[in-house]
Amino acid sequence: MALWGCAVLLAGCLYFFENDTGTRIVLACALLFPFLPPLRRFLFIRDQRFPASRPLLPAPSRRLTDEEEPGDVRLWLPGDPLNRIHWKLSAKRDELLVRPSGTPARQDESGPTLSSPAVRLVFPRRFRLILIAAGLFCICCLLLFLLPDARHGFQALCNRLFAASEKTNAYAYDRFPVPAGQAIVPAVLLLAGILLLLLFMLLYSGSRLFALVLAAGCVFLQVYFGLPLPGWCQVVCFTLFALWMARPLSRRGAIWLLLSVLAVSLAVILFLPGVHAGTEEASERVRDALSRAAGRWTASVTEAPEGERETRHVHTLSLAEGDRSAAAEKEYRLVTVDERQISMPRWFDWVKTVFLFLAVAVLPFLPFLPFIWLNAQRRKAAEARNAIRTGDPGTGVQSAFQHVIAWLEAMDAGGGNAPYRDWTEPLSRGISADYAARFRPCAEIFEQAAYSPHPVGEAERSTVIALLDETERILRARADRKQRFRLKYVEFLWI
Amino acid sequence: MRPKLENVCREIEKVIAGKRPVIEKILLALLADGHVLLDDVPGVGKTSLAAALGRAVGLVSRRVQFTPDVLPSDLTGFSVYDRESGSFRYRPGVLNGTHLLLGDEINRAPSKTQSALLEAMEERQVTVDGTTYPLEQPFFVIATENSVGTAGTQPLPYAQMDRFLLRLTVGYPDYEAQMALLRDRQNRNPIGEVECALSRQDLLAAQQEVRAVTSRDAILDYITRLSMASRSHAAVAVGISPRGALFLDRAAKARAWMEGRDYVVGSDVRDVFMDVCAHRVLLKEPAAVAAVTDVLEDLLKNVETPDHRGLKSFLKK
Repeated sequence: MALWGCAVLLAGCLYFFENDTGTRIVLACALLFPFLPPLRRFLFIRDQRFPASRPLLPAPSRRLTDEEEPGDVRLWLPGDPLNRIHWKLSAKRDELLVRPSGTPARQDESGPTLSSPAVRLVFPRRFRLILIAAGLFCICCLLLFLLPDARHGFQALCNRLFAASEKTNAYAYDRFPVPAGQAIVPAVLLLAGILLLLLFMLLYSGSRLFALVLAAGCVFLQVYFGLPLPGWCQVVCFTLFALWMARPLSRRGAIWLLLSVLAVSLAVILFLPGVHAGTEEASERVRDALSRAAGRWTASVTEAPEGERETRHVHTLSLAEGDRSAAAEKEYRLVTVDERQISMPRWFDWVKTVFLFLAVAVLPFLPFLPFIWLNAQRRKAAEARNAIRTGDPGTGVQSAFQHVIAWLEAMDAGGGNAPYRDWTEPLSRGISADYAARFRPCAEIFEQAAYSPHPVGEAERSTVIALLDETERILRARADRKQRFRLKYVEFLWI
Repeated sequence: MRPKLENVCREIEKVIAGKRPVIEKILLALLADGHVLLDDVPGVGKTSLAAALGRAVGLVSRRVQFTPDVLPSDLTGFSVYDRESGSFRYRPGVLNGTHLLLGDEINRAPSKTQSALLEAMEERQVTVDGTTYPLEQPFFVIATENSVGTAGTQPLPYAQMDRFLLRLTVGYPDYEAQMALLRDRQNRNPIGEVECALSRQDLLAAQQEVRAVTSRDAILDYITRLSMASRSHAAVAVGISPRGALFLDRAAKARAWMEGRDYVVGSDVRDVFMDVCAHRVLLKEPAAVAAVTDVLEDLLKNVETPDHRGLKSFLKK
């Protein structure tokens, strides 16, 4: 989508921004293209990090002093080095001016560079006016379709698309009454121009809403004409659309996006027959509704009389008989009724559609459920750790000591199914005699907190917390890679 | 251990040396208001131990040598007709007025006599001709059972052995202890040198404090799980009874008090478990005593301690 947009932008700029009045407008596509094309025209680039407009190219070397007259500068010509540009004067004059050769240029000022991530393509005021004009032109083109000739050409184009749809789908469509031999090329060109303009406006505005509207329009057209794009094309377009909507992308955002695309692709593949059937039926309904609305609003658009409708040869799938190639000549309304009788009930299509929607909505979250649960456990562990140091000392002592035990057992350094006060010997063997000597009093404090009617004080709590900190420090220092993972598991999942 | 108890142990060790653990366990039973069954070979100092204990704690101690002709009335007393007053007068037996009774070779006494003694041990009173006579407090019985030589013996049934808090063995002394024993008894009897280190009132107060020691639900839960695990063990025919669980709790309290605490912890229960429960478990097949200890150690190994049970519930939160 980005490359496509660049090509459109380039074409649009070349077509719309060529100005023969002599104003020098330079096309700068260096930001978008991976290579640096010959600079013929460029646009001023605004850096969002800086409050005022500053040129993308190296900043001016020095201020314009009173000694320097505007006459000492000249217009920029192709081939002039960019560091010779007199930026202050150029901003005043609204045209590029360079200093004469020999004037030293200071290079110590750093401004935005080509690699600045925060730059955005903006246009000077003149070009904004041109874009507004382009938008108005686009609207005028749309209004042109109301003219009979343009409308007939568009209708002829629609008839062509309906014919193509009939070849792939089982439904027959009403045709627009158009004169025979109506040319469709002007309508196609007009539509292509409108589409290009819309894309250019999309790139210019960077608006996600605009992109959403365009995507909705694309979907509507597929439904209306009953011509869904191939599955891979849908996936690519959805990916590009999602990329546009998800700017700027972080690593997590990229993962989300890829999984979303995967989920949608999977759903589309699984439910493709139903999607096709639903699209066909939806197409039929939408087109009928629009025809009725158009008939009410514009009296000139009328359907052909009942008796003048064509009887078409359509192929229907006779599921009941198992004959997949049966051909029958039926009026299309009757065909539709027969299709409904032999196909799955309508509510099943709705069920599939709803399920598809749910799958699209839920599937992207599924891979993240373990992480969501882990984060919840992490928060819970953090709250438990905070509770050790606050609240009732007895509860804090028990909690802190249980943390110690959990750590020791995670590292297989515990004393098994023995009272904690009897863990002196295994701890001496497993860790150190000093640690065992500090462990025993804390075990007695724990027993006092757990089994005694007498409360423990803050001093005891501090002693046990100190043991906990020391335990964590010792075990982390002694842990190998596998044990470090185990300790992390203990820390966030057990405790 | 409490200082006075330490003095008691020191006094008793004047008579029988090298048996500190046995002395502490007997004191534990005394504090827990239970009774002790000493099952050992003859001549290891069971009688001397009981006599020294009586002198060290300031208790009135008596000794009964059980023989097949000892009658229950010898223990409980009897009523005799007084011609002068024209009424029956109660003549107290050995049990009346005795604080510490040493019953030697209880397995030689007839069943009726054993029952009379055990009833007195349980109820702390004797009933003669419908009249109940309470016994002195404290009332502590050390019964001995000679495991060698079964001729003319009536081994205590399981139901009656269950009434003893602890069943202990004294064992032979080691080399140094026996050498000291021989030297001490060359020309004197050290039993006369034992002084009273703990008065009767102090002992009663200590028993009261032991009864006030706290056993939390976690400890009671541990005791219950141990007793229930013993009943469902594959090798056990008869497990620890509820009375055994009560005695286990009482002994754990005494143990905690001796350690200077007023609350019971899991290690207290584990420390007294073997001595309290070894004689309460009957195995399915006739086996040596060592098999019982294996079963009990298996129970201690597999039943979760209250500390670990607390850890599991903590981790589940």
